[in-house]
Amino acid sequence: MKKMSVIFAVSFLAAFFAGSLFAQEVKFAIPLPLTGTNAKFGEIEKRSYEIAMEEINAKGGVKGKKIVLVFEDSQGKPEVARSIAEKLIDVKKQPVIFGEYSSSCSKAIAAVAEERKTPYLVVTGATDDITQQNYKYVFRLNPTNAYYASGLISFFKEVVKPMSIAILYESSDFGTSGAEDMVKQAEKFPMKVLTKEQYEKGAVDFKPILSKVKSEKPDVIYMVSYVMDASLLMRQIKELRIDAKLYAGGAAGFAIPEFIQSAKEAAEYVVTATLWSPQVVYPGAKEFAEKYKKLYQDYPSYHGAEAYSALYIIKDVLTRAKSWTPDGIRVAMKGTNMVTAFGPIRFEDKAGYTNQNFMDTLVLQVINGQFETIWPQKYATKKYVYPIPRWRDRK
Amino acid sequence: MKKFMPPIILAVLCFLPLVGLSSYAMHILVLVIMWSIIGMGWNLLGGYCGQVSFGHAAFFGMGAYSSGLLYYHFGISGWWGLLVSIPVLTITSLVIGFICLRLRGAYFALATLALGEVLRVTAENLVKFTQGDLGILIKQRTWVEKTWYFYVILLLAAGSFLLVKKVMESKLGYYFVAIREDQDAANSLGINTTLYKTIALCLSGVLTGMAGAFYMNYMGYIDPTTVFPLYDISIVTVMVVMVGGVATYWGPVIGALIMVFLAEVIRSMPKIGAAHQTLFGILLIFIIIFLPNGIVGDFRKITGLFKPRGALK
Repeated sequence: MKKMSVIFAVSFLAAFFAGSLFAQEVKFAIPLPLTGTNAKFGEIEKRSYEIAMEEINAKGGVKGKKIVLVFEDSQGKPEVARSIAEKLIDVKKQPVIFGEYSSSCSKAIAAVAEERKTPYLVVTGATDDITQQNYKYVFRLNPTNAYYASGLISFFKEVVKPMSIAILYESSDFGTSGAEDMVKQAEKFPMKVLTKEQYEKGAVDFKPILSKVKSEKPDVIYMVSYVMDASLLMRQIKELRIDAKLYAGGAAGFAIPEFIQSAKEAAEYVVTATLWSPQVVYPGAKEFAEKYKKLYQDYPSYHGAEAYSALYIIKDVLTRAKSWTPDGIRVAMKGTNMVTAFGPIRFEDKAGYTNQNFMDTLVLQVINGQFETIWPQKYATKKYVYPIPRWRDRK
Repeated sequence: MKKFMPPIILAVLCFLPLVGLSSYAMHILVLVIMWSIIGMGWNLLGGYCGQVSFGHAAFFGMGAYSSGLLYYHFGISGWWGLLVSIPVLTITSLVIGFICLRLRGAYFALATLALGEVLRVTAENLVKFTQGDLGILIKQRTWVEKTWYFYVILLLAAGSFLLVKKVMESKLGYYFVAIREDQDAANSLGINTTLYKTIALCLSGVLTGMAGAFYMNYMGYIDPTTVFPLYDISIVTVMVVMVGGVATYWGPVIGALIMVFLAEVIRSMPKIGAAHQTLFGILLIFIIIFLPNGIVGDFRKITGLFKPRGALK
């Protein structure tokens, strides 16, 4: 009994002193897919939010208040994401919502946020139409799908000059809109679209589709897919010895370290569009990447950088907001103009979008088993390798 | 007393929105009622008629898409989908029933399982018609407040409950049970088994489809993976009925309460909430092992546990 009371007293004191460091705390719950098929990305984001939280708290928090983050598992299901959003607005009275990974969950939350007049910062959902609804309370920090490949397109134009392209994409929101956009770009080029094939996520064999691609001899093979599919596609391209001038990926699965680990030498010289890489010149990017690597033995993908920067944006907005009410925060959010580790952030209304951040996207190439930024040239960490050697000339 | 239970519960539910529940609580309530309708639909086919379906997502998705496509192609309110889904699903069920209901037991279950997946892949690939994976988004939902959604779904649920009760108290119901108990015996007594199984499938499909049409109007966004999934809809439907009580009137309601409300409560608990899937899984295993007839079906077993020992003598 005595022991218990000592423990109580000690923990009470500890809590008291910990509490006294910060006068108050400000608590945010973040919806993320922590279980289910998108859990991998949810995990990367969760870790990144935590790194940002510790950094901000170490520097005194927001207006002297300590940030406390809680994570709510949405399981990647829109109706659960919606429940979480309703709860945050109604029960927790949280004046601003941010987070979620997939486009469909982001859409569900965006609809609630707009109806309930609570600002929502979309962190990774990429489908174009989220910010095309004229929503006043929905902001998005990541470029939309239509802009994901803009860096890649300029690389095509200036270096590769392809005449034909084959597009393979997974059947999802992200895959479809990525492929549609590439078709539109190809028409402008002009570049002939030889095939546009959709496949089921998590397929075990791509050889039927790839044989078709091989017979058509495209200059470029462009693929939009997640990790496992990305590496299997490249491995089977290698097995079938399909020699295209360039193998290009549309971000997501091609732009995260697991791709190189599981595709091994088949990944060599593959280029991919990405929104961010650890080598970018933005302040804090390198530090964040190194810190993440130290903690989790791997570099974060662009999703991590987006999450990490999202919390900095929230901090910036809260510092500038006149009042911590939904409307006060919305006004402050609209006035955001800052550079984060992810890149410059400004929420603009243009080209049919509302409150959308526009930025340069990058091109990475796998050179000697490492991702290197190769395009745009001002951000390049290494010179691109092009033309790439044919399969039979490789070791 | 038992006779007055449904109207009493209905009356209590009718007054609930007036108490001033938060919109979060209302959302959970709406989902619970929606799932109990799906459960009632499944129960009619799987519980009473004994034809276990693993593809109710097919009906749910058809309902949701008939509402969504009306809005997308013709620009009319998605609520018409509630009406349109009735003929759409009746026809679909007839076609499916004609093909699949000749199969029995596991083969029927497998056929329905395939059906859900077939429809999902179809919806993903008919890009011109369904927008594929981009899904259908309603720009402006009818109401911001939950009250009216609540009353709509409550009305649907009351209607479904009444329908199931009336059907089961009629001759039709006895045919269903006869088919479940022994199909060959039923056949030899002159019951046209394929016909009555098809009727059960139609009723079941329509109820589920109407819930789907409601979902479209309520959530404002659907895509093939949210309305045609195997795990999140088809399997959950089976679980709702299994946990609540197969072939009982209140089973689907109790099941929905557990699968939606309890799942949300466990998920929201601080600290242990992180393991919500595990905890919930364990709970389900317990229910299935110790209460094989579901909570309503084995209600006596549960009350027996709390009675003083002496009472058993």
